[in-house]
Amino acid sequence: MEHHASLLAQWLTQVLHLSQHPWPGFAHGAALSILERYDHLLNAALAALVAMLFTALVRKNLSRIPGPLQQMFEGVVEWLKGMINDNIAHHGEKHLPFIGTMALFVFFNNLFGLLPGLSPGTSNWNITLGAALVVFGYYNFQGMKEQGVGKYWLHFAGPIWWLMPLMFPLEILGLLSRILSHSLRLFGNIAGEHVVAGIFFGLMPILLPVPMMFLGLFFGLIQTFVFTMLAVIYLSGAVSHEH
Amino acid sequence: MKKFLTTAFLFTLAAVAFAQGAPAATKSLFEGQFTAHIALAIAAAGCGLAQGKAVVAACEGVARNPQAAGNIRTTMIIGLALIEALVIYVLVAAFAIK
Repeated sequence: MEHHASLLAQWLTQVLHLSQHPWPGFAHGAALSILERYDHLLNAALAALVAMLFTALVRKNLSRIPGPLQQMFEGVVEWLKGMINDNIAHHGEKHLPFIGTMALFVFFNNLFGLLPGLSPGTSNWNITLGAALVVFGYYNFQGMKEQGVGKYWLHFAGPIWWLMPLMFPLEILGLLSRILSHSLRLFGNIAGEHVVAGIFFGLMPILLPVPMMFLGLFFGLIQTFVFTMLAVIYLSGAVSHEH
Repeated sequence: MKKFLTTAFLFTLAAVAFAQGAPAATKSLFEGQFTAHIALAIAAAGCGLAQGKAVVAACEGVARNPQAAGNIRTTMIIGLALIEALVIYVLVAAFAIK
């Protein structure tokens, strides 16, 4: 895929007088500054900062009579709580901070594609792979904590002992391929939407990209929902006891 | 369906024939972006059929039992995302093909 640095990175390069040089094996040797090369990290960090800013603002002004922002965030928390309680049988709510953080991070990253001059961090595979790896580590850790290390890994082998040599590698392969599908789904959707909006913008910069950007808003929400939902389902599969 | 597939096949052949009639290409036709485009088109067609079936089933479910709408919608969106993921893999592969 071609590399397009966001306008913000280009502008910061100009303002801060960063040196531009070619990066070996990247973007056909185009001269890029460090901010343009690691554009996705810049945007992801910005998205995380914005998310933290919003949550800090809500936390600072917590009141019994909620304002609009607090009400919105309460709605989000209630919705996540409902999602977790529907899927995880016992003590699911202790996972709410983690799931909520992932959801907010992914959501703000997705929506960054709609702001002029920025690009969504999730349209780079590195960011989504990182998010998927964090989710992967978290649910494996929680599964081992909940069920015990031996029991957790043994449940991949299935109930029939003579099928174990076949089942165990297959289940481990399935477990590992979850990382790939979890990250590629988010990356492909957001990147595809961003590229199509970019092509529309190239055809006619006024009015034509608007429907695509509206679709981008919708896709951003849906993909956040799907990412979070899948994380919750994987988590529930890892921590649930089989009776 | 058969007629449609036959027509589609003939059109593909015609496209290939026309492209081969063009002045000497350095690369074979089935190299590079042409492959990516055709692959993405096939994947999108299959995905469209599958998602249509899924949505039809969900609509029927909601029409029969409107009270289960919330659960059906959640399940449908998860299913649609899983179906769509297959096209997304092809899209990623198409990005990878220069």
